[in-house]
Amino acid sequence: MIKAIINNFKKYSFLMSQMIMRDFKVKYKRSVLGVVWSLLYPVLMMAVMALVFSNMFKFKVEGVNYLVYLMIGLVIFNYFNEASTTAMSSVITNFSLINKVYIPKYIFPLSKCLFVGINFLLTLIPLLIIIVFTGTPETRCIINIYYLLIPIAFVCMFLFTVGIGFILSTIAVFFRDILYIYGIIMTIWTYFTPIFYDLSILPVKLQALFKLNPLYQFINFVRTIVLYNQLPSFGNFLGCIFYGVFAFLIGCIVFKKNQDKFIYYI
Amino acid sequence: MISVKNVTMKFNLGIEKNNSFKETFINMFKKKQKVNNDFIALKNVSFEVNKGEVIGIVGSNGAGKSTLLKIVSGVMKPTKGEVEVNGVISPMIELGAGFDMELTARENIFLNGAVLGYSKQFLEEKFNDIVEFSELKEFLDVPIKNFSSGMIAKLAFSIATIVNPEILIVDEILSVGDIKFQEKSKNKMMEMIRGGTTVLFVSHSLDQIRALCNRVIWLEHGEVQMIGDVNIVCDEYYNKQMK
Repeated sequence: MIKAIINNFKKYSFLMSQMIMRDFKVKYKRSVLGVVWSLLYPVLMMAVMALVFSNMFKFKVEGVNYLVYLMIGLVIFNYFNEASTTAMSSVITNFSLINKVYIPKYIFPLSKCLFVGINFLLTLIPLLIIIVFTGTPETRCIINIYYLLIPIAFVCMFLFTVGIGFILSTIAVFFRDILYIYGIIMTIWTYFTPIFYDLSILPVKLQALFKLNPLYQFINFVRTIVLYNQLPSFGNFLGCIFYGVFAFLIGCIVFKKNQDKFIYYI
Repeated sequence: MISVKNVTMKFNLGIEKNNSFKETFINMFKKKQKVNNDFIALKNVSFEVNKGEVIGIVGSNGAGKSTLLKIVSGVMKPTKGEVEVNGVISPMIELGAGFDMELTARENIFLNGAVLGYSKQFLEEKFNDIVEFSELKEFLDVPIKNFSSGMIAKLAFSIATIVNPEILIVDEILSVGDIKFQEKSKNKMMEMIRGGTTVLFVSHSLDQIRALCNRVIWLEHGEVQMIGDVNIVCDEYYNKQMK
């Protein structure tokens, strides 16, 4: 069973890489700067956010480099937001393909999550520069041994996003309105995730509730390492892995159960 | 090689019209009409195809020919019944699936090739053959949105026919491009057929069917009318149609 899945994956990995390359080429086709935008866009967005939140609103979090605090939250949240949103419509927009040749349908949401994932990895470069070069002497971040654990959070975040992407793309086939509804959900989600504020400003009761937010788990994991030079708590580890694996499994089951029906509804 | 057993395919044509809030809302106030929206595209179709056979499928528009091909090639799952296929299928149901108009011909060869399930190595090996057959060498780096429809069809045909599949599924694609290319594509098809490929072939041209096929399946309203020798079925079909 597992072997069959891996073989299938291998067989279609070329198609997937072609589709990701297509996304890159089409996205930057007519722009002067081309792929440079992949790097420039997040940098500029970060600069705007940094300006707004740390200079205009004077947000800060005690004892840490606020700019880094903000950016970690932003980068992770933006990845999830963009990847899940594009994955959601991926099955619908590729209907002409699904209707003509046999292709395993999971490829569409998965390749979108990977495509946005590559962009995400690129944004880590400016993030690293901010980590190393900004902050006062007291709050300057130190690269430490725990950095080696950060990929765990990223993998869990990716699995979580793919799982949600599977579920959303399935729903979108049967219920087109989700495309609009999800935009609103994401706006709400932005404010309910401690991206630019710290959990400690909330009442204690609410804090517990906010910690259930999967994105908080991923963001907190990375922040604990980068800002506080500490090993994330056991609960945080468990939270990341649980949400990642759980969402991925549910997503796979939902998608697999419904994929044969897609063709009648699109 | 291919065995189709009691395949029934039902579409619910009503479903498509009811997938947004607005429409559901409006429908609530409309007079309820009890309409049976089930559309039966195929009814209890069974047949077998042996290795090396060339089977033609005829029938008027909407008889279920394309649906049958899609079921055999795995694009759709039948509502009822079973389909068993042994061997690598090359479906040429609609050419150019996955072409991206923004990309160049070169990029599309790889993209479309990947969609058809070719490996990277295979495509790199056969790249020159594809280009040569398509006669589009000087337009390789032009985005295909600037191509004429004939050029796109030629490119698509060249990519699709570069393989030597065990089973070939063809839906009306022999009339592609200009006269010269049509002749070329017909020869290519003949060459594949002579190579021992099993072929399922849909066409409205009885001449082509008579020239290429051993046996013919005649579909009408989703049901098999006749299966048998090419000349007998074609004559019967022609007489019935022209009556």
